[in-house]
Amino acid sequence: MTDTISPGADLLLRLQVEDLLYLEADLLDRWQLDEWLALFTPDAHYFVPPNDIDGDTADPNQSLFYINDDHVRMRERVIRLNKVGAHSEHPRSKVRHLVSNVRVRREGDVIHARSSFVVWRSKDITSDAFVGHYLHEIVMSEGAMKISRKTCVLDMEALRPHARISIIL
Amino acid sequence: MRGADMADHPQIIDDRQASRFLVPRQAFTSRETFERECAAIFDRCWLYLGHASELAAPGAFITRKVARRPILFTRDKEGEFHALFNACPHRGALVCRERKGASRAFMCMYHGWTFGSDGHLMSLPGSSGYTENFKTDPQKQMVHVPRMERFGDFFFISFASDGEDLATYLAGAGDFLKLVSEHSDSGMQIVGGTQEYAIRGNWKLLAENSYDGYHAACNHSTYLDYLKNANGALGATPLSGVAHNLGNGHAAVEYSAPWGRPIAQWVPLWGEEGKAEITAIHASLEHRVGPERADRIAHKNRNMVIFPNLVVNDIMAVTVRTFYPTAPDYMEINAWALAPREESEWLRKYRLYNFTEFLGPGGFATPDDVEAIEKCQQGYATGGDALFNDISKGMNRTDAPQFDDEEQMRCFWREWDRRVAMEEA
Repeated sequence: MTDTISPGADLLLRLQVEDLLYLEADLLDRWQLDEWLALFTPDAHYFVPPNDIDGDTADPNQSLFYINDDHVRMRERVIRLNKVGAHSEHPRSKVRHLVSNVRVRREGDVIHARSSFVVWRSKDITSDAFVGHYLHEIVMSEGAMKISRKTCVLDMEALRPHARISIIL
Repeated sequence: MRGADMADHPQIIDDRQASRFLVPRQAFTSRETFERECAAIFDRCWLYLGHASELAAPGAFITRKVARRPILFTRDKEGEFHALFNACPHRGALVCRERKGASRAFMCMYHGWTFGSDGHLMSLPGSSGYTENFKTDPQKQMVHVPRMERFGDFFFISFASDGEDLATYLAGAGDFLKLVSEHSDSGMQIVGGTQEYAIRGNWKLLAENSYDGYHAACNHSTYLDYLKNANGALGATPLSGVAHNLGNGHAAVEYSAPWGRPIAQWVPLWGEEGKAEITAIHASLEHRVGPERADRIAHKNRNMVIFPNLVVNDIMAVTVRTFYPTAPDYMEINAWALAPREESEWLRKYRLYNFTEFLGPGGFATPDDVEAIEKCQQGYATGGDALFNDISKGMNRTDAPQFDDEEQMRCFWREWDRRVAMEEA
């Protein structure tokens, strides 16, 4: 991320990225999971690193993660979450994604976005908050912005008392 | 008083003639039972602390909570391992406040007392204000946990200064720990990254769930669907196997399963390159431990609970997991991945990919286990006529108990009942 403030093209790019992140958040909040999946490229990845290592740099091929999804597994995650047999999300949780502090940086063909998030999940008698930052990698594909990589770095010391990341963060 | 205690204690009903095994639901909800468990079980049993690979070099340390107590697990400059209560002998503040790292000395941030990796008091500011032998007074050193022993690379501690040694305690579970240590001739290590979560349920529900073969088909139907869909992640091997009583409350299920095992069960998802590598690993394993043991290590899955709360699952990956209650309806869970020290990048990648597929808070199965455990805990609030859980499945069998029977849980509960009753006597 650049720390200087410059007007013009950077600002427009940030607005475009914000629009994409807000759309993503809205689709997840409304459980439009198939539409959510369509925001990603066919070779996309979705990661949630654990709490006790540096989530910005951790490698899912060398460290144990919470979520280590390639596109096949992202697709299967969506299929699963649409089934009654996904007991942890049946009945479904209410979820609310709040995204802010969006910063963008262009590097060749890839747009790197870094943003803060809070995700609330409420079900039964409990309400859990996930707090952290997103790292999105975004590419242009057929004239539209598509997400090629999403990493959710949690700021909590441990995933407690949550017990599960059964929703999509 | 004793009589009243006995009457309050929720006894299990273990009627072998009638094939009837009932666990009172009060065992999961009663605050009094929870306090008894802390004294009878967590203050008396051998408890898992960590794996030698986590302190690979002299000077390495980890802070960890074991049965609600803060522990500092260190390796001194001679390479010796120590388990210390992480509290300053002066005023009791946590001495080490970092999760892990490398240091030859630990300074308490309150008054600057400084301790070596073995807990001895190295220095303290203003020492002229104390008596001559103050610094060497045993009371002024960090306190070692009464007992620490290792079994292979697995370290256990006990808060009781008496009782059986670790190998005796582990009984038949020792051989199962050896089996996971023999996966590789390079030895096994904990891979970085810990899954740390919690469940709003009683800890014994997770012990049961960890080797409950009966719930898989219903509770994990979407995981089995996923394996079918995911481009050849499902092999042809059927789910089938037996339960083992390993003594002293430890038990395991051992079974064949259709998923890939990075040790030596190939699935089509891994391709021809993967097939060649798996074949080579199996050949080397056979050469090292003989064909019979190699076949068992490579092709059989094992889910084990070492009483009271250490789970070692040797399934589509190798997991090490502990769970500690802080209340009757709440537990904290830590899970680690165990893997060969030396393994190809390809295999390590699939091992971790496998682990996250099924296991842990973001997996395709664990969230449904969590849901089931929390719903049990909520269901116990109903009270009413159904005050007991039935875990008699397979009790009437004359042949070996099957992996989807409930013999493994009965092993756990008999030991639990024996220990809790002993506490009252």
